[in-house]
Amino acid sequence: MIQKDKEGFLRLLEEHKLIIYKICNSYCKNAGDRDDLAQEISYQLWRSFTYFDGRVKFSTWMYRVALNVAITFYRKTKTNEAIIQLREPDTETEDSRDDTSETEKNINTLQRFINELKELDKALMILYLEEKSYSEISEILGITETNVATRISRIKDKLKQKFSTINN
Amino acid sequence: MEDITLKKLWKAQDEKLDRSMKMNLFILESIQKQKAQSKLKGLARFKLVAVILGILWALFLGVLIYGNQLRNMYFTVSVGMIMLITIGAIVAYIRHIALIKDLDYSQSITDTQKKLARLQASTFKNRFILLQAPFYTTFFWSTEMIQSSVTRFCLIAVPITLLFTILTIWLYRNLTPLKMHKKWVSYLLKNDPEQVPVIQAQKFLHEIEEFKTAS
Repeated sequence: MIQKDKEGFLRLLEEHKLIIYKICNSYCKNAGDRDDLAQEISYQLWRSFTYFDGRVKFSTWMYRVALNVAITFYRKTKTNEAIIQLREPDTETEDSRDDTSETEKNINTLQRFINELKELDKALMILYLEEKSYSEISEILGITETNVATRISRIKDKLKQKFSTINN
Repeated sequence: MEDITLKKLWKAQDEKLDRSMKMNLFILESIQKQKAQSKLKGLARFKLVAVILGILWALFLGVLIYGNQLRNMYFTVSVGMIMLITIGAIVAYIRHIALIKDLDYSQSITDTQKKLARLQASTFKNRFILLQAPFYTTFFWSTEMIQSSVTRFCLIAVPITLLFTILTIWLYRNLTPLKMHKKWVSYLLKNDPEQVPVIQAQKFLHEIEEFKTAS
């Protein structure tokens, strides 16, 4: 049972803050935009929280709100040509600058790839990597499970190619 | 690259993001104040003002028609057409307001984004408002005016109205995203900052449709 007061909301927000960060990181090119988006998502979640009626799972509801806000925010702040493909240096913290480990490189490649995807494919991939079931992804996005499976498979193929190109 | 590795990499970001994102998600009161005037609410308010002004304008035109008592058919038909097109615009704007009010971020991504994109793209659909232009060149015509100088009427008034009619129909038919391949349309629309989000919205609507179709 979800506690529908401010404390209950703050607890849920704390529990899910990492996914909000990841969504912001995937849809925004710079730190300032990420902060704005995180606030916008928090605000919209809080605003919609009163109307959450439990007809869908809390996580489904939360992903819908967060991704809808992120896509809308992303589209508002983009001009025709400004789809940023590389993470900017200001996304890195002081202690991560010299970190050139294999894992770090792979994380950056994965993040770069996610950033390059179109808005809806990006949402799909985030949900897949968050280990949501195909049925929940289909409910969040409003597409069929078959479509979810087909699209994920295509994106993964591209991703594999990308990693193999980089590693060779 | 295996699935498991991808998911591991995705998870590996957690700590890094938690360290680098310092914003405070929890100052709800200040967020509420900051966001009390959301952009969509602003848009709805703008459209509401337009609807009120439109209704006042349509009423004024109605009063003019009523006052004329069909004494001058040119006036009645011209003002009547302007009034009809204004009413059409009012209806379109009321539908936009309803669409804004109906917008719910907790609905599925494709449904919500489609509604938003439709709202942005609606400017193209509202270009029918252009069609009232020729009637502004005919409302002052009268039988007396024509009879007093047929030549002047035929050489000045009629060509002006014809020019307006041709220009308006041409603009109506061409100012659409479907004609973006034409240089002048592309130039006109791409250089109009108000049209850029509309064009992007049209493209996004196509993307949503494509996304929804399994192939």
